[in-house]
Amino acid sequence: MRKDDGYKPMMARVTAIVKESPLIKTFRLSFLKKDDGKSFSFSPGQFSMFSLMGTGEAPLSISSSPLEDKYLEVSVRNVGNVTNAMFRMKKGDTIGVRGSYGRGYPLENLKGKDILIVAGGIGFPPLASAIEYMLDNRDDYGKIWILYGVKEFDDLMYKKRMKRWSLAKDLDIIVTIETPCTEWDGCVGNVTELFTKLKINGRNTAGLSCGPPVMLKLVTSGFRKLGISDDDIYLSFERMMQCGTGKCGHCNIGDKYVCSDGPVFSYSDVKKMQEMVW
Amino acid sequence: MRNDRFYSLKKSDLQKFIDHLTKRLTVFAPVPDGRSCNYRKLAQGQRVIIDHCTNTEFPPKSVFLPEGEVLLEYGKGDRVSERTPDDRAAIFGIRPCDVHALLVLDKVMLGHDRVEPHYKKRRDNTLIIAVNCTRAGENCFCESMGTSGLEEGFDLLLTDQGNHFHVEAGSGKGEKLVSENRKLFTPARKEAKRPKLEYKKRIDTKNLPGIMMKMFNSGVWEDVAKRCGSCASCTFTCPTCYCFNLVHDADIGDLDKGKVVREMDYCMLPRFSRVAGNFVFREPRTERVKQFFYHKLVYGKRRDGKFHCVGCGRCITECMAHIDITEEAKKVRDVYEKR
Ligand SMILES: Cc1cc2nc3c(=O)[nH]c(=O)nc-3n(C[C@H](O)[C@H](O)[C@H](O)COP(=O)(O)OP(=O)(O)OC[C@H]3O[C@@H](n4cnc5c(N)ncnc54)[C@H](O)[C@@H]3O)c2cc1C
Ligand code: SF4
Ligand code: SF4
Ligand code: FES
Repeated sequence: MRKDDGYKPMMARVTAIVKESPLIKTFRLSFLKKDDGKSFSFSPGQFSMFSLMGTGEAPLSISSSPLEDKYLEVSVRNVGNVTNAMFRMKKGDTIGVRGSYGRGYPLENLKGKDILIVAGGIGFPPLASAIEYMLDNRDDYGKIWILYGVKEFDDLMYKKRMKRWSLAKDLDIIVTIETPCTEWDGCVGNVTELFTKLKINGRNTAGLSCGPPVMLKLVTSGFRKLGISDDDIYLSFERMMQCGTGKCGHCNIGDKYVCSDGPVFSYSDVKKMQEMVW
Repeated sequence: MRNDRFYSLKKSDLQKFIDHLTKRLTVFAPVPDGRSCNYRKLAQGQRVIIDHCTNTEFPPKSVFLPEGEVLLEYGKGDRVSERTPDDRAAIFGIRPCDVHALLVLDKVMLGHDRVEPHYKKRRDNTLIIAVNCTRAGENCFCESMGTSGLEEGFDLLLTDQGNHFHVEAGSGKGEKLVSENRKLFTPARKEAKRPKLEYKKRIDTKNLPGIMMKMFNSGVWEDVAKRCGSCASCTFTCPTCYCFNLVHDADIGDLDKGKVVREMDYCMLPRFSRVAGNFVFREPRTERVKQFFYHKLVYGKRRDGKFHCVGCGRCITECMAHIDITEEAKKVRDVYEKR
């Protein structure tokens, strides 16, 4: 994206919709203009601003592989004004996209390492993109663990994708649900409780996480207990965002802007933040 | 200092110069407004009283980030267009502290590898005709912030010399204005004489960001929060406060049509840091108070190399709770030194 662009979105069309759960839908999008599709790029963990004219904009992370050039996918949890309007979109509808913005997970620098991914709730999409990317480059990374925790059974997403991923070599997925229910016979409890099940060489592992603030806090202390170094812990933060480009002032944590210095920060950088981060 | 940019303008010729401007451009200048002054668009021939008040009640940021500015327009069939402002304007009578505030806004809006095009367009298209102050206001402390004089940031700078103004051209655009008005501006050789002004307030900025970072959890901020009423007047009147929302505004008659506008937002309000699920990151008032004070005296300096406080004193004047940034900065330093 050009560095002097304003707020004008590129238009994309909804080409497929997957209802992941009662509250979450995944939309497959293709740009209306070929040039937009060519110029648009992102890395996993970056975000873009998605807009429905007349309703508003929301920052969302793309969950498909950055190497996929025909379409992109976003997963949306219906929580408010804009996301509700997105939820009502049908195949063929259009949506505005501008971005990509911010800094994602530094996957290039993590080559050769084992990767521990911990996703909480609707924090899964940017990590899903990271997983797709690593599977596209499977030999560059060591063992991959994916821990995914949700509150309710109804929050579970990416069931199909997880099935596909689980066929990849040297990749383990564990899913846990906080609230026990009859539909679920898997793990029950908080995602951080799963850490005890892992046999990990912390020194050669990078921990990647995205989820609600309280979870990030627990996950970070879990990562550290496993011996993962603070430089190898990468956390994606959520803040109120309006511009996505470092101008509107909404997303700061101290002198850092989540939209442009983040949303992914290493824990070494998080430690230096003075404002309350979680 | 090069003195080939110095000129002299008779006080009796000032209005002729203003008239020259209003004929060609939209001119904003301080106009008496109740007991104070505020920037208004001048009508052709409107008289300018340069010394009615020390500085304006509200800062000139609204010339560059106007409330409700239309950024995008959209219509049927996915048509969306970016609106670019094309007003050619001049701001006359802007004070040194407020010019420094524009230099701060430049850091934010034009810096960090990304340009905000609407702001840029207005900056590029607006002449800055600054005026040095002849007296300091009750709450001014620009001198201690290093913002009481100007070396850059203006096209013309006027300094009152009794019967005439000393004029310095600070840019090619300023020189052009002078050459368009050869009859009014005569070359001058010397620098302007500036009397030393008396300031009642000051902030000791020495190592202030470092001290404040160590005092992040100090009770000083809770004490401020106890008095603060979260009215957001401080952020509303601060010349360097720029935070905004992008608001979608559909046409009531035809919902396919509408615009996206910029509305200013204020970190002193809880909604400012609210995300989905009604989670507010700075719910305690103390956290919001700290956001304001730290942005002005710490974060701005660390991020942009400039304090985001230019010492204009407006937040002091406007605060109904009499919260005074100079007092609080002093308090936090005192507490730090007595630890
Ligand atoms: C970097 C980043 C990536 C995200 N990725 C995803 C994703 O992949 N999938 C997903 O479902 N959600 C994601 N979110 C959260 C999503 O942006 C919010 O749920 C969404 O903005 C809520 O908008 P709303 O209008 O539906 O909610 P409302 O509560 O009606 O929002 C009202 C206002 O608050 C603002 N706002 C509310 N919540 C947020 C928020 N969390 N971040 C920024 N602004 C907010 C909106 O812009 C709007 O102006 C992400 C958030 C961030 C910061
Ligand atoms: S913080 Fe107060 S004194 Fe400083 S620039 Fe803003 S309004 Fe003026
Ligand atoms: S003007 Fe005073 S009372 Fe109002 S928000 Fe600012 S500090 Fe608080
Ligand atoms: S979202 Fe506007 S500054 Fe970060």
